Amino acid sequence: MVSALRRHVSIYSAIAAIVPKRFLAFRLWFWISLILRVIEMTILVYFWRAAYAESASLGGLTLTQTLTYILLAQVFESLSDQNLIWEFGFQLREGGIIHMLVRPVNYQASYYVQALAGLFMQLILNIPTALMATFIFGLQWPTDVAAWGAFILSALLGYTALFFFHWCLACITFYTTEVWGLGVLIYGLTRFLSGGLVPLAIMPTWLRTIVLAVPFSQAVAVPLNLLTGITPLSEAPAVWLSQLTWVIGLGLLSQTIFRVAVRKVTVQGG
Amino acid sequence: MTHYLSLYWAFLLQQFKSYAEYRMNFIIGASSTFFMQAANLLTLWVVMQQIPSFNGWSFYELLLVYGLITLSKSINHMFADNLWTVGRVYIRSGQFDRFLVRPLDPLFHLIADRFCYDGVGNFLVGFILLVTALMGLNITLSPPMVFYVCVAVLSGGGIFIALNLITCVSAFWIMDSVPVTRAVFDNHLFAQYPLTIYPRAVTLLLTWLIPYGFASFYPASYILGRDVSAYVWAGPAVAAVLLFLGYKFWQFGLRSYSSTGS
Repeated sequence: MVSALRRHVSIYSAIAAIVPKRFLAFRLWFWISLILRVIEMTILVYFWRAAYAESASLGGLTLTQTLTYILLAQVFESLSDQNLIWEFGFQLREGGIIHMLVRPVNYQASYYVQALAGLFMQLILNIPTALMATFIFGLQWPTDVAAWGAFILSALLGYTALFFFHWCLACITFYTTEVWGLGVLIYGLTRFLSGGLVPLAIMPTWLRTIVLAVPFSQAVAVPLNLLTGITPLSEAPAVWLSQLTWVIGLGLLSQTIFRVAVRKVTVQGG
Repeated sequence: MTHYLSLYWAFLLQQFKSYAEYRMNFIIGASSTFFMQAANLLTLWVVMQQIPSFNGWSFYELLLVYGLITLSKSINHMFADNLWTVGRVYIRSGQFDRFLVRPLDPLFHLIADRFCYDGVGNFLVGFILLVTALMGLNITLSPPMVFYVCVAVLSGGGIFIALNLITCVSAFWIMDSVPVTRAVFDNHLFAQYPLTIYPRAVTLLLTWLIPYGFASFYPASYILGRDVSAYVWAGPAVAAVLLFLGYKFWQFGLRSYSSTGS
């Protein structure tokens, strides 16, 4: 009797112990992500210090300007985060896309508001990164209110343009039903083409032309150039106008592509 | 030993058969690592277009350092990738118990259970970088030097595997070891560049505590004839000691393993 009870207690306490272990794993991720971020920022900062070891200026930028730009790109990294490709892939696999399509709401708009809310959350979650950039790596925050205003508007426009662009790319999954390769490819392209690793000013002209001709840079490099003063504020209206053109162009394109591609939808399950 | 080698071969053949069924996934997986590396390499190239030298290192010398760490990493990626997922895939699901009832070392079984083809991409990238660097530097490797490079890469691979092994043991207590492994593993990113660009604390860390320096910076320095301190010979010993410690720690962890029972 006693031994049976003891056995039960031991079994059920082992099962109960799974819960705090799982909880711990989530908490652990938060702290680990801070460590990973410190590693990444340390490498970036010392990489650029070494690059500037023998030259006072690269592409017209001083070391301080470049470091401010690079660290701010870390803080605002979420601007280039879009998960539409994974989301479409998931909806295809699980069959959820059918339910989304028959709902009396605009499919694209419902994803757009979710993306904006997600961006907001990510920026809040990135506050520790901002603190580390400031107190460990000496990030000097821009203080010009007008520059912040120009940045916020430009970032919103750029993020929207990127959302529409990813919408077009995500439609490819309707044809291929393969997500992993496309996702990784876009991740790699975004890492470089967003301009978060190298300021555009330092790139050779031909490369800069390519980077500006594809939409990835609209959400990171273009707004950050305004914030850090690399693009003078007097040019802000022209920048916004060009970004608005991106938004309208890609917005129309994304809807057209979706209308055609959705006919190809073959759900894999659900 | 021969028994285990032939078993590994048998496991490997089985896996290749299943991969052959999904050829497209094989190609995508192997090329995915290339896209991951491309961003860093392009950054390096852009910067080197502007400056005469990177704190005393030329572009091809940097490629050599980067190539060596990528090759070492690929050894771990191809042959020991299951150390990442032991908690998530095997322990949490209860699958790990399968290894315990078989007449094989559970660690061997875990590692042999998967050959990760994504690592082939890493190997190719690393190899191409190494060859490009040597050609760019006009270095022809003598046979002893070829041997040195092979030993350096294998030792580097051993260091990667040992550190992942030590950290994956935490799965026996907290089920999912990926965060712990990742926190140590990501330190290898420092070793993609010469350690001389970092403050002394980072150099000490990458030499004595998380010794990824032996997988890239020290052998590269030797190949380039830069630094001939004893460190350039220490790689195999460091790998051997770490692997021994890792195996002991694994056995210790295994003793306190309690199945999730699912």
